Amino acid sequence: MSFEPLQRTVPPLALVDVTKRYESGGGAVTALSHVDFAVESGEVVAVVGPSGSGKSTMLNVLGLLDEPTEGSVELRGETTAGLSEAERTDARRESLGFVFQDFHLLPTLSAVENVRLPTAFLPDDVTDRAHELLELVGLGDRLDHTPDELSGGQKQRVAIARALINEPDVLLADEPTGNLDRDTGTAILEESRRIADEAGVGVVAVTHDDLVTEYADRTVELVDGVLRDV
Amino acid sequence: MSDRRFPALSLATRNLSRQRLRAALAALGIVIGVFAVVTLGLLGNALSVAAQVAAVRRAADGRGTVVPLQSTGGTVRGTGGQSVAQVYGTDNPQALFGNGSGAVPSSHRQGALVGSGLADELDLRPGSTVTVEQNEYRVVGVLPPVEGISPLQPDSAVVLPPGEFASDDVSQVVVRANSPEDARAVASGVRERLNSRQQRVSVFSLTSVLDRISEFFDLLNGFLLAIAGVSLVVAGVSIFNVMLMTVAERRGEIGVLRAVGIHREQVLRTLLVEATLLGVAGGAVGAVLGAATVVVVATRTELPLWAVLQPGNVVVPLGAFAFGVFIALVGGLYPAYRAAWEPPVEALRG
Ligand SMILES: Nc1ncnc2c1ncn2[C@@H]1O[C@H](COP(=O)(O)OP(=O)(O)OP(=O)(O)O)[C@@H](O)[C@H]1O
Ligand SMILES: [Mg+2]
Repeated sequence: MSFEPLQRTVPPLALVDVTKRYESGGGAVTALSHVDFAVESGEVVAVVGPSGSGKSTMLNVLGLLDEPTEGSVELRGETTAGLSEAERTDARRESLGFVFQDFHLLPTLSAVENVRLPTAFLPDDVTDRAHELLELVGLGDRLDHTPDELSGGQKQRVAIARALINEPDVLLADEPTGNLDRDTGTAILEESRRIADEAGVGVVAVTHDDLVTEYADRTVELVDGVLRDV
Repeated sequence: MSDRRFPALSLATRNLSRQRLRAALAALGIVIGVFAVVTLGLLGNALSVAAQVAAVRRAADGRGTVVPLQSTGGTVRGTGGQSVAQVYGTDNPQALFGNGSGAVPSSHRQGALVGSGLADELDLRPGSTVTVEQNEYRVVGVLPPVEGISPLQPDSAVVLPPGEFASDDVSQVVVRANSPEDARAVASGVRERLNSRQQRVSVFSLTSVLDRISEFFDLLNGFLLAIAGVSLVVAGVSIFNVMLMTVAERRGEIGVLRAVGIHREQVLRTLLVEATLLGVAGGAVGAVLGAATVVVVATRTELPLWAVLQPGNVVVPLGAFAFGVFIALVGGLYPAYRAAWEPPVEALRG
């Protein structure tokens, strides 16, 4: 006999039997095939796999940037299938943080302004929190620098701070160390690990890099759109 | 920072400052278009108004006086030579030829009044003697030169008391009406009563001249404004082009905005503010330059300044400015829409 726990914890973000197909020219490409996946709060998951295996597709679907062909994406246990574009946009801003391989900072904005960017059209002033986050990632002395005055590692730290500005449930990172040297990459990963532990944020990081798996709680592998545990 | 209150404006100004030369060139198109509309519009208005007012003023000076006029031609001799001239006979030269200055008498019983052009030509001034068809007259006055349009040509004429004419036949009756409307009414009244059965008099009304003037200037203005409008449309195309380039270059950035939770409408707004700012800057410069140019032209030429500075003319630069802003907004619409509505995954893939 086993007992159902009284309160089951709902994962902040999950894929339920997700399939993603692209119709292109000659035939259809199945980028994801019946993928079931969940990330828990405070957990770091590394997604590995060969090129073209569907890692970026999986992250885009998780991040509500792309919609699955079949199956559903669940945000705190609720399906996102019926959401309008505006509701998906709000959900991204409120619950998710993105970190990209090439940083994608706005070149005209200072570090603080880049961190504040997700809230730019909201009434509340988050400047103080932006300062705190930049201090947290070790850029307390670079607040007013523009991206071209920052190194690659510093840019990625600004991007991480931006991803955290709205206290997201999950941080989604597509090859966050892809454009960084090994030492800088290590520092960024330590940062992510610390954030996951301290803030209880779930982290899903796509990577080619063995290094990432060292800092991960678990690693999953995608091969031709099929996900399995490693 | 104050730009938190207008995030679209703040993001837009920064993006414009990134490509200053390109932004300046796009705004220059609007400057030229608005400049063309303002200068051509103001000049057209001022010319039309100046011409009409010159004619109306002459028509409105009298108080609806009716002046019978005899006229014939004759040889006129003075100290400076001789000439064939128009000879008018009237007992009220003030009403027909005066300019309100009092130089022309309102009753005329003896002596001759000489038109300013003829006086110069024959070297006549008050007190000298003029010979009209063998009869000598003392010159009692020189008529002021005529401005504007008149059915009579007093500049090269001699005016004599009506008693000096061999016959009493009146060849013309000049009616000075109080307003162009009155003139029109009198003209049609005369036509109706005197010419209902047969053509007994021919009515030549100054208002028909006015109508022609304003018709002509309306046509001219319309034509000039159409040309200027085309240059503004071209400016709109260049804004369109610049905005397309801008959003193509910033595709990834716009994708990031969408990914981190900025709504499509907010991206659209930011891009439209960008295009509109080009129109506002270009339009303001163009309107000020255009108005200043027309004022300078007016002070350097015979175009009267008051015709340029009439209050009604304010709508020309304001309208041209608004049109320039509108054109820039329209030029930015499609590029902004296309960029804001692009799915973020595709924009981010680059
Ligand atoms: N928009 C698209 N249209 C058509 N096919 C696509 C599209 N996006 C991705 N694919 C295809 O889906 C498959 C998975 O692509 P994805 O980008 O997810 O791979 P990946 O694992 O991230 O590869 P990499 O490690 O090289 O980044 C590939 O075969 C790719 O060609
Ligand atoms: Mg990828």
